[in-house]
Amino acid sequence: MYCVFHVDVNSAYLSWEAVYRLQQGDSVDLRTISSVVGGNEADRHGIVLAKSIPAKKYGIHTGETLHSARQKCPGLMVVPPRYGLYMQCSEAMVAIMSQYAPLIQRYSIDEAFLHYQFPPGMTPGPEAEAAAVKTATRLKAQIRQELGFTVNVGIGPNKLLAKMASELRKPDQVHTLFLHEMPEKMWPLPVQELFFVGRATARKLRGYNIFTIGQLAATDPKLIHCWLKKPGLLIWQYANGLDHSRVTDEPVPVKSIGNSSTLAFDVTDRATAHQILLSLCETTAMRLRKIRRCAQVVSVTLRSDKLITCHHQRRLEVPTDVTSLIWQEACRLFDDIWQKEPLRHMGMHLSDLCSNDYYQLSLFHQHLEKHHQLDKTIDALRSRFGTRAVFRGCFSHSPIQPLMGGVLQDQEVEYPMMASYL
Amino acid sequence: MKVWMHPIEVIAFFDSQGLPRPLRYRWQAKDQPHHEPVIVKVDRILQQHEEKPAGNRMLVYRCQSVMHDLERVYELKYELSTCKWFLFKM
Repeated sequence: MYCVFHVDVNSAYLSWEAVYRLQQGDSVDLRTISSVVGGNEADRHGIVLAKSIPAKKYGIHTGETLHSARQKCPGLMVVPPRYGLYMQCSEAMVAIMSQYAPLIQRYSIDEAFLHYQFPPGMTPGPEAEAAAVKTATRLKAQIRQELGFTVNVGIGPNKLLAKMASELRKPDQVHTLFLHEMPEKMWPLPVQELFFVGRATARKLRGYNIFTIGQLAATDPKLIHCWLKKPGLLIWQYANGLDHSRVTDEPVPVKSIGNSSTLAFDVTDRATAHQILLSLCETTAMRLRKIRRCAQVVSVTLRSDKLITCHHQRRLEVPTDVTSLIWQEACRLFDDIWQKEPLRHMGMHLSDLCSNDYYQLSLFHQHLEKHHQLDKTIDALRSRFGTRAVFRGCFSHSPIQPLMGGVLQDQEVEYPMMASYL
Repeated sequence: MKVWMHPIEVIAFFDSQGLPRPLRYRWQAKDQPHHEPVIVKVDRILQQHEEKPAGNRMLVYRCQSVMHDLERVYELKYELSTCKWFLFKM
């Protein structure tokens, strides 16, 4: 018999930055003053990525602009993010977790699930739960002692309840949420606290007089299905603590792949926009080939300086993983929707992925093997000598990066992003 | 002791287990760039341990040396990821 631990780092980016700075001889602990980790304002990435507890007291939220955060708290300290450091911290935490159980699922950069097997001969019950709490407390203390930051550990019979448990009260806590504890610990919470319930769903549910998770759990699932269709049934199951997903260390199946970037300057001409699309295509197509897939649908997203967003997508007649062909399609999509307004954000996505081993070719399209050979060679060079080892000549004297998008732009490793499902 | 975290040049001896042992270091105070750098012989290593806050592994040495006829205790750090030595505290 087993249960699931969910380990969540408290104010992850800020804690990691604070601990690293203390190790490097800094006299100030960022966690004890009003401070935030924020992007570079000159590049127009000036938003709050993480905040300290004193900064939270000023009403600063993650995702708001640094300008507005400074207005709320005039003496606010802003430090730039260091994603390489965060990967290092995350890996060190997972290494400690792997001393406790062999099966660990990294859910995001600062969250992971652990499959905890009850001691032999122990059946689920108060004794087994106490053993799990003891182990979780030891794990939490070891992370704090060795790595210097605090975590919350949630314990539950499945991933959903473990995740809900770790959110209960922060920081540096161990919480349990077993099925018999749901009426007391989970059901009184507001419905938007439930995993998978966002702002829009919560608003709809409030419209039906459902304000707490308990009220959602007690509602007839047929009614919920009428109101919210299939996702409604999923949140009803979650409200009742039902989740059948397993802790797995296998990579999640990729359904779509994309990259986007907020630009350092407003783009007003077609040639620059096409160059940016090429840069995004280089990154996205390389990632697509790495997972050995071809894309059948290409989509482009544009956001104007007035923050109006538009998308456009088209199905390809022949699936492809060739950078140049994807870029040509992206440019056509761009030309279809661009109304000459200045652009501050551009993105592209590839979806409806299929295997790159066998796919239907068309009689009416060129299928040039040399394209595949070229991409394969470029990928191999980048993998061996770094992503900047080889890039297109049009980027050589250009302010545009040759490979845009992604968190760790100079490295080939994938930054673990949170999935929207367990 | 004051925290300096000042990068230093070090002559070290690596044992057969791969553990470095500082023998001598050269230190130039940041606030006195025109002064001659001080060369210090590490007389004794009192304690040694490894730390890894934020996953960054460092070897920490508490050492003792005679400087200007005074016996002083201080801490050196060796950062494994960058192979850099620091005078951490004195």
